[in-house]
Amino acid sequence: MSEPHKHDHDHAACIELFSKLSDYLDNELDAVTCQDIEAHLADCPCCTACMETLKRTVAFCRETEERPVPETLARRLADIVAGLAAPKTTRSS
Amino acid sequence: MANLEKKKIEDADSELIAAINAGQVERFQELVERYQSKLYNFGLKMCGDSRDSEDMVQDTFLNVFKYLKDFRSETKFRNWLYRIATSTCIKRRRKSKFAPDRELSLEEFLPQDEADITDTVPQWAAQPLTQVLNEELRRRLKAAILDLPEKYRLVLVLRDVEGFGTAETAEILNLSTANVKVRLHRARLSLREDLKGYFDNE
Repeated sequence: MSEPHKHDHDHAACIELFSKLSDYLDNELDAVTCQDIEAHLADCPCCTACMETLKRTVAFCRETEERPVPETLARRLADIVAGLAAPKTTRSS
Repeated sequence: MANLEKKKIEDADSELIAAINAGQVERFQELVERYQSKLYNFGLKMCGDSRDSEDMVQDTFLNVFKYLKDFRSETKFRNWLYRIATSTCIKRRRKSKFAPDRELSLEEFLPQDEADITDTVPQWAAQPLTQVLNEELRRRLKAAILDLPEKYRLVLVLRDVEGFGTAETAEILNLSTANVKVRLHRARLSLREDLKGYFDNE
């Protein structure tokens, strides 16, 4: 039976990368740090799996459901705006 | 002497706001129609309840109307609007709930032992998004977002759902960009744990 995990390098590098994953995904790191991370990812399937699951989590958030505005709310807001606009109309006429 | 006046930002709302502030108050309805859906859905993700969200939207627009004359176009109108919406959300929630926000630490999301570490990308992260995303997952995601402590949820919703940038989110929430990044990362890790649990038990 093969080993379940291929994780035979310095774990400290993984921990350091773990704290920077979001910044990496958001392109908020400098070029040198990105290169270091990419080199680590190329050699670490565990961190790659971690990064890909985080990336997918963010992608899910961008696809959350949009519900239509309830008719009651739209009407309530329109009534409020009509009320706010009304006094000026009355004064100017 | 340095010019301390901030540069005015022109955006898609500038003309409408200028018209309203110049006396065309009835055009405030256009502003409402432009943003009511975004705000309502933002409220749903923050409050979790349609009625609370509706009340938040109403209070937000009332505040926008009240303070629109003070809006100096030093930021995008949308950012200013969300600042008001966010503060309305926080005030409403504080009225109903007094439980302090739970802190999320980076350490709690680190794998505890070797068995927690996986060296293959799971199917839910490897398959095309459309093949994975379904109604049940959307419901689970919504619940997981609502389960986040408020200060983390606010950052995650603004950044990853509403699409604001780091600097914009920092401005809306009056936080440093470093703080936004820290909260966002922890919020994402918390969601990821939740989703991992969901897919592991599927």
